[in-house]
Amino acid sequence: MPLIETKNIWKTYDMGSIQVHALRGVTISIEKGDYVAIMGPSGSGKSTLMNLIGCLDTPSQGEYFFAGKKVSRMEDDELAVIRNKEIGFVFQTFNLMPRSTALHNVELPLIYNGTPRIEREAKAKKALEVVDLTDRMTHRPNELSGGQRQRVAIARALVNEPSLILADEPTGNLDSKTGLEIMQLFSDLHGNGNTIIIVTHEADIASYADRILHIRDGRIEKDQRVTQEDRIANGTTLQ
Amino acid sequence: MMIFWEIFRMAIHALGVNRLRSVLTLLGVIIGVTSVITIISALEGLTQSIRTEIDRLGPTTFIVSKWGIITSEEGFWEALKRKPMKFEYVKAIEEGCDDCELVSARVRDEMEVKYRNKKISRCFVAGATSEIIDIVDFEVGQGRFHSHEEDVTRRRVAFIGTGIQDELYPFVDPIGKTIKIAGMKYEITGIAKKRGSSFGNNMDNFVMIPFSTYVKDFGTPQNSLDILVKARTLEVMDQAMDQTRVILRAYRHVPYDKEDDFAILTADSIMAALNDITKYLRLGLVGVSSISLIVGGIIIMNIMMVSVTERTREIGIRKSIGARQKDILWQFLFESLVLSLGGGLIGIAAGVILGKVLIGLINMNMSPSLYAIVLGLIISSGVGLFFGIYPAMKAARLQPVKALSFE
Repeated sequence: MPLIETKNIWKTYDMGSIQVHALRGVTISIEKGDYVAIMGPSGSGKSTLMNLIGCLDTPSQGEYFFAGKKVSRMEDDELAVIRNKEIGFVFQTFNLMPRSTALHNVELPLIYNGTPRIEREAKAKKALEVVDLTDRMTHRPNELSGGQRQRVAIARALVNEPSLILADEPTGNLDSKTGLEIMQLFSDLHGNGNTIIIVTHEADIASYADRILHIRDGRIEKDQRVTQEDRIANGTTLQ
Repeated sequence: MMIFWEIFRMAIHALGVNRLRSVLTLLGVIIGVTSVITIISALEGLTQSIRTEIDRLGPTTFIVSKWGIITSEEGFWEALKRKPMKFEYVKAIEEGCDDCELVSARVRDEMEVKYRNKKISRCFVAGATSEIIDIVDFEVGQGRFHSHEEDVTRRRVAFIGTGIQDELYPFVDPIGKTIKIAGMKYEITGIAKKRGSSFGNNMDNFVMIPFSTYVKDFGTPQNSLDILVKARTLEVMDQAMDQTRVILRAYRHVPYDKEDDFAILTADSIMAALNDITKYLRLGLVGVSSISLIVGGIIIMNIMMVSVTERTREIGIRKSIGARQKDILWQFLFESLVLSLGGGLIGIAAGVILGKVLIGLINMNMSPSLYAIVLGLIISSGVGLFFGIYPAMKAARLQPVKALSFE
């Protein structure tokens, strides 16, 4: 059973008199343990697809199964539970709570599923350890560098041990050196058995993944397996 | 349960971040609750002290009067046309009412009283039969009250309150001295115990003389004769009143199909009438003061709306990591509840103090009312809920994708 399976999903936005089809029948299947990049230019529908995969939104048509569960017709609160338990988000703009410490930011998903305080703190500290930020736990986002903020966000994504880590342009707001560190972190997480989907418009970022789904005009244009040659061509080096 | 506590902490945290704004918002509710509680506790205090005053009548005592409680102009003209009360009713009630223990007649007027060169130009002078001392709540402090014999023999004796003593006899013992009432000389036989003041009236400024002496010296007043009756026990109070009513109707020739042309007043009926008269006044006062409470609520709502818009992105982030609608709803509802309850608590304290000051100005004692406090808490949390629910629901129903992309 694939972790993610979409069957001919459409997303249509009603813009008054005209209808905009952001997705036009996308059918994909992603296995557990995959490292997939969704790549396409802006306006291609990749963000829409990410929102649907991340259960932030529901398709206008078609079916979406997450770990065998049909989520395409779920209510907002049911989706919230899936987002909480099964999906860890990493955003381009980090999306941390600006007034809260790194530790509290990482604890937040656990608060919403009612994890008791002691267990919550232990888990959050462990997640911060994974991203190597144990010495920055009591700092607020504005006291952290961009790379550190993104690592807090990754720790927050990891803390519930989700089935899927979904990253939307995770290096978009970072310099290339820091971006590289973050990509290294994702590769490490993948190496530990996590399923990762990265949404990007940059070919070099995409080539860190094992598989690239090229999207254009709301359709999957190409489903590409990444080879070592591709990586060398893109200058993507991994340790 | 625990998640509630965590969400509550988030709300407190968010309020702390916008400290100045929170305090300003609080101010609206504080002013609202303060004004409502001030009014309510002042009214409560007023009612309480009226109650104590009326209770002096005693639970088994009732007054038969031509007047009753007049609540309208027509009522006044109607009562004015009634036949006066007569002294003979006293004897009739004494004989005809088995459940009546004591019956007394009382007349009163304001007159000038004098001792040597000191005088009080408008003093409350009452003529009453000797039984009154056992019917109405005042006690002999020194000397004695006039006797039945002194009454029937129309002796010029007087019983005075401590207020008269203080004014006219500051350095001498008044007992045995004379007092001039409207020019007539009376001998003082006794002084009442101090009763204190109420509504700014000194309750100790009175002179009481025998009923018959009063009638002889000052004539029979047409309108001020009251009959005071004490029932044997509280249990037979109603029977005593019924018997008295029947006797009076017979003596006053009231046709069977007509209403009483006199009134029977008890402490309870006076209180009830008073409450009735002041009902609209109280409602009005509370209503006017509630307006500021509504304004306080609108301020909360307004601030919460701004807050929801400002924090749309935050809501999006919370939803993306798994906050359900009710989690967001409670977070914002807690914020408005904390604001309104916090304002409410401060407002209650301020209101109770202000109410005391207000009541203190007209010289009455007042205990802080639990009722006002509970009411204040209910009102303020009600305001928080009522005005907070819409912004909170607006926040809870935001779509995650839209909220996340909000700039």
